[in-house]
Amino acid sequence: MERVSADGPPISNLDYFILSSGSDSRAYQILSQIQAGPTSGTKIILFNYRERVANRSSDNPLFNYRNLAIADIQEVDCDIKNPSSSLSALEANTFDETKAIAVDISCFTKPYFFFLLKLLRERFGVLKIDAYYTEPQFYSFEKGVFTAFHTSSGPLSIIEIPGYSGQERRDAARKLIILLGFDGDLSREINEDVSPGETVVINGFPAYSPKFKDISLIANEKLVSDHNIRVAYARANHPFEVYNLLAAFKKEASAAEGDTFINVAPLGTKPMALGACLFALHNPEVRVVYPLPETYKDKYSDACWSSWVYELPLA
Amino acid sequence: MSDSYRNPFSGVNAVQLKEDAILDYWCSPFTYNIFSEIKQSDIYREENNIVLMGGRSTGKSMFLRYWSYPIQFRRAEKERKKPLDIIKGNEGIGFYFRIDSPILKSFDGYDLNTEHWASLFTHYFELTVGIQYLEALKRLQDDAEISEQAETSCFVPKVCELLRLSPQQRLEPVITELDRRLRFIDTYRGDVTFHKKAFEPDGPVFPSESLSFGIANLIIQCFDSFRDLNIIILLDEYENFLTYQQMMVNALLRFTKPQIKFRIGMRLEGFRTYNMMGTEDFIKEGREYRKVVFEDISSQNSDYPKFLAEIAKKRLEHVRTLREAGFVDIKKFLSVREDLEQEARDLVKNDPNRVFNQFLKSSGVSKKELEKVRCLDNPLIELLNMIWLMRGVSADETQQAMRDFLDGRKTKRAKKYRLDYVDKYKLSLMFLLCSIYRKEKQYYSFNTFSFLSSGIVGQFIELCRRSFANAEWRDRDALLENGTISREDQTRAARDCSVAEKQQISRIEDYGGTISRFIEKIGNIFRAFHADHKLRYPEVNQFATNIEALNDKNLQYAMQAAIKWSVIQKKRTMHRSGPGEPLQDIYAVNRIFSPSFQISYRTRGGKSVALNEKQLEDLMSDKALVISNYTPKDGILKDSASGKLFPEQ
Repeated sequence: MERVSADGPPISNLDYFILSSGSDSRAYQILSQIQAGPTSGTKIILFNYRERVANRSSDNPLFNYRNLAIADIQEVDCDIKNPSSSLSALEANTFDETKAIAVDISCFTKPYFFFLLKLLRERFGVLKIDAYYTEPQFYSFEKGVFTAFHTSSGPLSIIEIPGYSGQERRDAARKLIILLGFDGDLSREINEDVSPGETVVINGFPAYSPKFKDISLIANEKLVSDHNIRVAYARANHPFEVYNLLAAFKKEASAAEGDTFINVAPLGTKPMALGACLFALHNPEVRVVYPLPETYKDKYSDACWSSWVYELPLA
Repeated sequence: MSDSYRNPFSGVNAVQLKEDAILDYWCSPFTYNIFSEIKQSDIYREENNIVLMGGRSTGKSMFLRYWSYPIQFRRAEKERKKPLDIIKGNEGIGFYFRIDSPILKSFDGYDLNTEHWASLFTHYFELTVGIQYLEALKRLQDDAEISEQAETSCFVPKVCELLRLSPQQRLEPVITELDRRLRFIDTYRGDVTFHKKAFEPDGPVFPSESLSFGIANLIIQCFDSFRDLNIIILLDEYENFLTYQQMMVNALLRFTKPQIKFRIGMRLEGFRTYNMMGTEDFIKEGREYRKVVFEDISSQNSDYPKFLAEIAKKRLEHVRTLREAGFVDIKKFLSVREDLEQEARDLVKNDPNRVFNQFLKSSGVSKKELEKVRCLDNPLIELLNMIWLMRGVSADETQQAMRDFLDGRKTKRAKKYRLDYVDKYKLSLMFLLCSIYRKEKQYYSFNTFSFLSSGIVGQFIELCRRSFANAEWRDRDALLENGTISREDQTRAARDCSVAEKQQISRIEDYGGTISRFIEKIGNIFRAFHADHKLRYPEVNQFATNIEALNDKNLQYAMQAAIKWSVIQKKRTMHRSGPGEPLQDIYAVNRIFSPSFQISYRTRGGKSVALNEKQLEDLMSDKALVISNYTPKDGILKDSASGKLFPEQ
């Protein structure tokens, strides 16, 4: 895990750089540092969610990538609710274990980058990638810091992230590990749907900003105040810390209860979700559940804080 | 001592509870006459299938799980009986199934057709049911409960034949094999995302009925102990089943065998379809199933409050600190009823003349007459007196009636006054007083929480949970030493709970936004009725409409979704929305929203707001609300230029 300086040298020697379009200013923070000119040999694959692109004028910040010097770009139209809608467009590419591949997860929805990482491993045999992430500087709290915060709106549907169904053995005890976010409704819904014997919440600490860890606890008050719930902490920008914590919980559960069906709900930051993704990739018996909303809010954060690169072994 | 304290109302979810905990927390609804349509003996003996319908947290899962064999076996152990004796006493054995919604939804999509998914899901369902039958048998066999050992009877070979397995002697390898086949489906569900491929297991794909009825029939045939018993499939959260999945189960309901019956738990309006897989036929209430409503807003006529008190007692007893201190009666924590007079006195204490001054300014009644009917000790009585004056009763008559009532005289006047004050208007007066003082009504007491829960046990528990959390935070020692929770802490709990539930509406699948707009608007209409200074339509909080007759299917579906999620609740019988109106279906807004709109938490009857299709459409749309379109023509809002005697500031 390394910080990526905005003033640092260009990022070069990549075969593929995969990202999602977005109207946040962080959407193209890393892309702007990628050497993607005619001689670079780097192909940019940009996912355009139909729902995000619809009804946007051409001067919308979402299209700012068009102002960058990119020689080879593939725009993949996809459906926010159905990650496999991008499958056929990706098949044309020659991903394999020899290629240098980087994925910027900043503006991807979580189910999408979960899908993408497993796809790269399962279909194309990619064994490692670099994941980039730019932290937002602000979140917008429409109704005040300690009241409702939603990254999504409209009805929710709790799903298994495609490709992460896990394996529930007979008589296995269900354990739910929630990476805590600001949206308290989501954790409650998931806990009710999964109905585990034990629930653990992992709060991001240190958070991007000192208050965030408290906001997430307050927003999830109902769940957290339950006397059966354990609270643990992992750094909000550190996927590997989350990974290690999940591995420790798994070991602990195996020792205590024998067969345990671990469910992970990655509601917190994207780096935390990345840790959960990696853990589920390495432990295919683990299920990943996620609340798929009707729509994601167009913009719930703004400006750029630190950017990070994580070297991820997919197998 | 307080170190052992934890919130007694936190975290008890029936699906998650272990067997002992289910027994510890179990309160039989039959003891409290909660359901008129079902007797305890019907659970195992009723020949028809039974569908238990109710909103979230109405206790359906607790109810279904209680009758399942693991709980009944544990019960037998506690009562020092043999499991088989319990089963025989019940005349049946129950098998509980809950498939969570992420799994159900995973049997869909990836451009694979419904036939593909239906076949796969049926296979999954049959395996899931079949494996549980065998596990129950194995458990009985391990406990030497069944005289005919499964392994020495014809049972295992016949099961192997049914499953197309090589002959086995013991149950365990058969169970292991079924489990392996279930895992194969899990693997397929995970892989299909990346490799769109056919489902090709190394064994048969089981069609509907093959194991769910097939193994059940073998059990009945092969074991004398089961010959006269019913096999009950307790299927929970049926509303989460996708349409084709319901069609598959609906067909099972249609073709159940004499000793195999379903007890299905679901939300109201939880049937996505009445159609059946593989036939043009459909299932029908009364023919394929009997409906039992678990969520009844009218349940105040039953022993519902006693049921709630018993549930609370069990939770309070689970906390050592409270148990040892003898604080196990929720009514003592919350107080039995509201003290409206005290609440009114507290409300007016800093400005006791406001009502008098407002009437003096706006009512046209003389100062002398108004002064005659003042009652500084009881602001509610003073307000009622002034309303009597507005209604044309003389000041002398009003004063005399009040005096007779307060002095306990048995006069006609006192009787009339009592009827108005105690029986009809006291709560309405409190709402009006709050409206005049621009203060929020307090929602507290066991009785109020019982009403606010709207027949949904989980809502009562949540109100208690929040009250205890507030009390603990504010003054933990007082909570644990006195065993009481203040009005303010309860009110804050009720208000927060109301806001949280209202916020949840927009998260309802499919029609969340529409329903949210509707509730916001209808709540404000009810609020306007509560601010009527003449109290002509006290405590209006219901509306009348005919959902089935709506031409716009979207409106119809939205209303049905509102019922499914208990946002609105249908009254059991039809009523008139007002004198001279035809009989109509009446709906109440879930009482938990009452604190948000500052409206009454109980049903008074009388006036309901009649809504036609156009009005419903407007209330669900983004259009601005014009309250006068929904209030009577004689106008509750036309008494002053601003529309109210006491205009909001």
